[in-house]
Amino acid sequence: MKTIEIIVSPQGEARIETRGYAGAACQEASRLLEAALGVRQSEQLTSAFFQQPLTVQNHLSAGGHTNPS
Amino acid sequence: MSHIVTIQTEVRCRESVTAACRRLRLPPPTEGTHRLFTSEATGLAVALPAWRYPVVCELPTGTLRYDHYGGRWGDPRQLDRFLQGYAVERATLVARRSGHAVHEEPIADGSIRLVVQMEGAA
Repeated sequence: MKTIEIIVSPQGEARIETRGYAGAACQEASRLLEAALGVRQSEQLTSAFFQQPLTVQNHLSAGGHTNPS
Repeated sequence: MSHIVTIQTEVRCRESVTAACRRLRLPPPTEGTHRLFTSEATGLAVALPAWRYPVVCELPTGTLRYDHYGGRWGDPRQLDRFLQGYAVERATLVARRSGHAVHEEPIADGSIRLVVQMEGAA
């Protein structure tokens, strides 16, 4: 399930964490919330960020079967 | 998870300021020019509990103008509380307007967690 978790500290600082995304789609998903809340202080990419989205993997696999040469 | 971003909150949305005041049971914010001891500030003023002068939100720049005289004229934690309420209301407003469900829950350390359901999003 794709979710965005926002934790707002008692001082009012927000930490936005995307879950369930592969690749850079997570950045696109959270961009609107980030812009609405304020100024980005830091960004940490996790291992899932560097995974290929599932749709791209399927496309590459199908391409292999249709081109036997 | 795939990425984590930390955001310094800026107060730029009138509707979310009003919602934060409602959440914290503060008087509705008032627009105008307001005195801050020896200076003045123009914008949307929020009256925090037991603060001598208001916090004035300059929405176009996201700047907050206030004078609590090192805490003598107002507890800075009240300002933190307002900023937290504002950020929660702002994020909730934006997420819901984008068609997403939002679940809110308090955390033991005083933080507030929002979970935005993105499934089915474009």
